[in-house]
Amino acid sequence: MIVKLADNIISPLGVTTGENYEAVKAGQSALCLHKGVKGVPTPFFASLLDERILSVEGDYTKFEKMCIQSVETALAQCDVDVSSDRTLFIISTTKGNVSLLAEGGEHENLLLGVAAQKIANHFSNRRTPMVVSNACISGVCAQIEAMRALTLGLCDYAVVVGADVQSPFIVTGFQSLKAVSPEACRPFDQERKGLNLGEAAATVIYGTAERAQDCWQMVCGAVRNDANHISGPSRTGEGSYLALRSVLQNANPSDIAFISAHGTATLYNDEMESIAISRAGLIDTPVGSLKGYYGHTMGAAGVLETLLSMCAVDDHTVIGTRGFERLGVSCPVSVTSENRTTDKRAFIKLISGFGGCNAAACFRKGGEE
Amino acid sequence: MSLIKHYIRIKCSKTCYGGIPEYQVTLDGEKIEAAGADTLLTDLYKARIGDYPKFYKMDPLCRLGFVASELLLNAENRREEQFGESRGVVLFNAASSLADDRNYQETIKDPDAFFPSPSLFVYTLPNVLTGEIAIRNHYYGETNFIVLPHFDCAAMADGIRMSFTDRDLRSLLTGWVDCYSETSFDLLLFLVDSEVVGREVELQHEIEKLAK
Amino acid sequence: MEELILKLKNEIIEVLNLEDIKPEDIDANAPLFGEGLGLDSIDALELIVLMEKTYGIKIKDPNEGKDIFKSVAAMADYISKHRTK
Repeated sequence: MIVKLADNIISPLGVTTGENYEAVKAGQSALCLHKGVKGVPTPFFASLLDERILSVEGDYTKFEKMCIQSVETALAQCDVDVSSDRTLFIISTTKGNVSLLAEGGEHENLLLGVAAQKIANHFSNRRTPMVVSNACISGVCAQIEAMRALTLGLCDYAVVVGADVQSPFIVTGFQSLKAVSPEACRPFDQERKGLNLGEAAATVIYGTAERAQDCWQMVCGAVRNDANHISGPSRTGEGSYLALRSVLQNANPSDIAFISAHGTATLYNDEMESIAISRAGLIDTPVGSLKGYYGHTMGAAGVLETLLSMCAVDDHTVIGTRGFERLGVSCPVSVTSENRTTDKRAFIKLISGFGGCNAAACFRKGGEE
Repeated sequence: MSLIKHYIRIKCSKTCYGGIPEYQVTLDGEKIEAAGADTLLTDLYKARIGDYPKFYKMDPLCRLGFVASELLLNAENRREEQFGESRGVVLFNAASSLADDRNYQETIKDPDAFFPSPSLFVYTLPNVLTGEIAIRNHYYGETNFIVLPHFDCAAMADGIRMSFTDRDLRSLLTGWVDCYSETSFDLLLFLVDSEVVGREVELQHEIEKLAK
Repeated sequence: MEELILKLKNEIIEVLNLEDIKPEDIDANAPLFGEGLGLDSIDALELIVLMEKTYGIKIKDPNEGKDIFKSVAAMADYISKHRTK
């Protein structure tokens, strides 16, 4: 089975997974108003990472430094030969070093594969890295690809790192789509006005084990398309529902502590997810979104939200959805702003993105009970 | 019997600045004639597709992948079938959505003419192409986009094999779709089904042969 | 007004890449969205950019757009009353 060996989160709320979890549990948010940012005339709420907290030296961009430091911190917790060609790097990002476009646009590191190779080479790993660039669902897809590569014996260890850096390119783009909330986002709430963007890097290292014992196990995952619209989610939650249905073939709903939803707080995303969750028969399962703490961290989101969900299950907690007050979606999913307790040992990560893609994955602590 | 039953190859490149771009279009090894390189994709669309005006809204990467997928699927001749979750679209390249990224960047470059374009921004993700193909053909299966440092048959064969661990997947529209500008691109798209499982080395060699 | 309507039709065709459509194909009083031209939510956002770029009209709330973009004639009427350039 596929087990987690080590992990890390770097965000404005902390540089370890533990620091991040404690901050979130205490209700802290990294979202604040940013005014006068060069290249972005309209002020915006976001969670931005101060580059000064990064200790990586050398000729690297902020994106690369975030990835390297996150992987380095995770590697320190485990005994993985990172330079071996049996170790596969899988990078999850949507826009990588896109901010280099503003500096003339001929920089080689604009190419995601080149940047990924540079990150892997920092660890003396020469194997061709994969970059999963599947919009907002990249972080979950990257973990699914890691699980598959390990199951098939294509590698012994998979280092999955998700990251994105905010830049005028991304912020003005989401503003032009009128998708950005003028205040801290409010997932699943009646008054939700859109998403906030965020910066983070998150790493998870997977390997194989005979028995799960006290480890976190990645049980299964699936990716499905809405086949409906390139930027708007399906009104019937089609792809998200199909991904959930696939995952439930290998997971028992009564074992699920909660669903960590995408919950971006756009009108259509949250509505769509409520429909998909309801159609999958999970209407009574607690649902939460972490976007009120971090905003939408894009390539990092799927990894970061998976890791915090693992911490929450370990702590017998369902993290409350920050910004939520009154349910504003058509299917009565079980969302609360307060933390709840749970004694269940598994959870589902659900995520959706542009291009009509959707993913769901199930994770469980220890073996079957 | 080869593993790859249908494939399409489209290449276009400007050899020198201001020079005449060279192009090549072959479907299952047969050469397809087109009027010229500068408007190659639009010409192919008009001559062989023509019923999907959304084509004109697409960015260069999507135009390339869309036209190729249409010709490929016509050659397969199973367009009436409902594939549902059994067919996926998993594509690879090195440039991600760079051509459209540059076009969007132009709209935010000048503070005195600052008009970020939403219709350009939505295409600044490579996987939007997998969505366009899924929408056109009602494919509900897995869609994914993987960026590699360079064209790499082994990495593609591994990626394809990994997708077939999904038990609902029966066939995959897959391959390399790299686009640097309206007149500089390189594509090799093909269809494979689950018989590739266990025959990854063979698949890798077939891709190598077609890429030549 | 006729002149503005024709100019608008050409601009809409250009910014929305309606390659196969000519100005005379667009009925100035027919609904822009829904059936007909097959426009979607991204097109609506692109029309908001057109209003600002060409006519200096800022539309903050996309919901306002619903009435303004009802038809080409409605757009022309709104522009003639609110344009700043």
